[in-house]
Amino acid sequence: MAEKYNTKCPGVKRLMREAIELAEATDEYCARPLEDNLFEWHFTVRGPRGTDFEDGIYHGRILLPKEYPMHPPHIILLTPNGRFEINKKICLSISGHHPETWQPSWSIRTALLALIAFMPSPAEGTIGSLDYTPAERKALAKKSTSWACPQCGDVTALLSSTAAKPPTEEEQTVLNQIAFKGEEEQVKPPAEPVPEPQNIEFTPQVMESSDSTTSFLDQLTEILVALLVGAIGIFIYRRWDAFATSESTEL
Amino acid sequence: MADDASSSSACTGNLIDNSINQDELIMKQQREIEKEISESIPLVGDLEPLSSLEKEYNEDPVYLLKIKDLTAKYKSMRRTRPDGNCFFRAFSYAYLEHLLTNKEEFDKFYEIAKNSKEILVALGFPQFTVEDFYETFMEVVQRVGEHAGGSPDELDSIREELHSKFNKQAYSDYIVVYLRLITSGQLQTQHDFYQNFIEGPRTVTEFCRQEVEPMYKESDHIHIIALSNALNAGVRVKYMDRGEGSQVIAHDFPDGVKPLVHLLYRPGHYDILYA
Repeated sequence: MAEKYNTKCPGVKRLMREAIELAEATDEYCARPLEDNLFEWHFTVRGPRGTDFEDGIYHGRILLPKEYPMHPPHIILLTPNGRFEINKKICLSISGHHPETWQPSWSIRTALLALIAFMPSPAEGTIGSLDYTPAERKALAKKSTSWACPQCGDVTALLSSTAAKPPTEEEQTVLNQIAFKGEEEQVKPPAEPVPEPQNIEFTPQVMESSDSTTSFLDQLTEILVALLVGAIGIFIYRRWDAFATSESTEL
Repeated sequence: MADDASSSSACTGNLIDNSINQDELIMKQQREIEKEISESIPLVGDLEPLSSLEKEYNEDPVYLLKIKDLTAKYKSMRRTRPDGNCFFRAFSYAYLEHLLTNKEEFDKFYEIAKNSKEILVALGFPQFTVEDFYETFMEVVQRVGEHAGGSPDELDSIREELHSKFNKQAYSDYIVVYLRLITSGQLQTQHDFYQNFIEGPRTVTEFCRQEVEPMYKESDHIHIIALSNALNAGVRVKYMDRGEGSQVIAHDFPDGVKPLVHLLYRPGHYDILYA
């Protein structure tokens, strides 16, 4: 891959270093760039212990902007999980602040640890969030282990038994502040083949989730358009009214 | 007009919602326009005579008087991109440029720069990424060191190299990031002192996470005080605003240290000044 990119470019050098740092899978997370694209990674995380997600293994994509690490990575979950919509870009932000509070000294590892830590937090209607019941989330967690990525294979085989390096005290305070939310616009479907679940029983689940995403967005667009048309209508009506009263003789 | 305003308050919630959306759209568009303008300006521009400022304010008597005052001490300037990083970019460019002709100051700076990484890691910054920024930063510093005090021809060529590095977004931003980290490190090491400068209930660490470390966050006095102290590098900032009088007021940071870098401040922005 090295010959494809300008390794003198700090962003490329940085991603290559991160790839080396994350090369060895741990029992909590692993991530690696795609064979042919240093700016797209696939990751796998284990659901946080003691939560509805603890039996789950979740897989997804990380999209790195060309300005990385000046701008934050985007995360897209592929495994249905009941906390985040799948196939939808979610981004990091410090709770209560804007996404520009991303710090270049954070890394893909920070993003993954923050994602794991953030999973059990309440959805609170944030864009890209789902508020499934604990039972639904537990059921999805159980099913998630039989999910396979067309590029990476069986997700259970991706994590290892090596214990992950525990976050430092400083890191932990940072992790506790990071929140994730969806972007306004929907992500275009991935260019590569959409992951096909191996387990047939699983198929409707995936379809259903992605369908509901699109229909929700369609609805949202419709509502917005209706609002806009309404506003224009009211505006014209008021103008017309004013016109009508002032020039009532002619009408 | 007044009638319009009062009648709109009686409108439906829908319309109010919609107007908020409109406001957001307008603000978003505004931000995009600002971004576009900003990106059309080089990260660090070429040297230009101060008279270029006069053109900018040619119908503004207050500013014209102040520019006249400024031209008594300075001949030229270098503009920087107004992207919230301008203080860090202007400072590092001007300081490295100065170090090219001041080997003694360079050696002093080099020691401080070399030890800065350890301080940051000890403060709890992630070693892995701090190292990444440190290496790129030191790469540029070392290039300056190799040629500091060299022949005029040598200096011309290294100045060109520096200029080109500072105008490559990735390199330039890496330098800005590292200076932001040094600034944050200084604030946190001396937090008892700097706490007095922070308004509101924020701790120094919170302030650093929100206002110092993230890119594009504008610099205030506290950033300048911390960075100039951390590097023990003198900065003079000339404040040019619409305030009374015909003089442009100067502030030196840190107090009593000979200024080696001269910056022009206009509300919200820093450029570099040359005598």
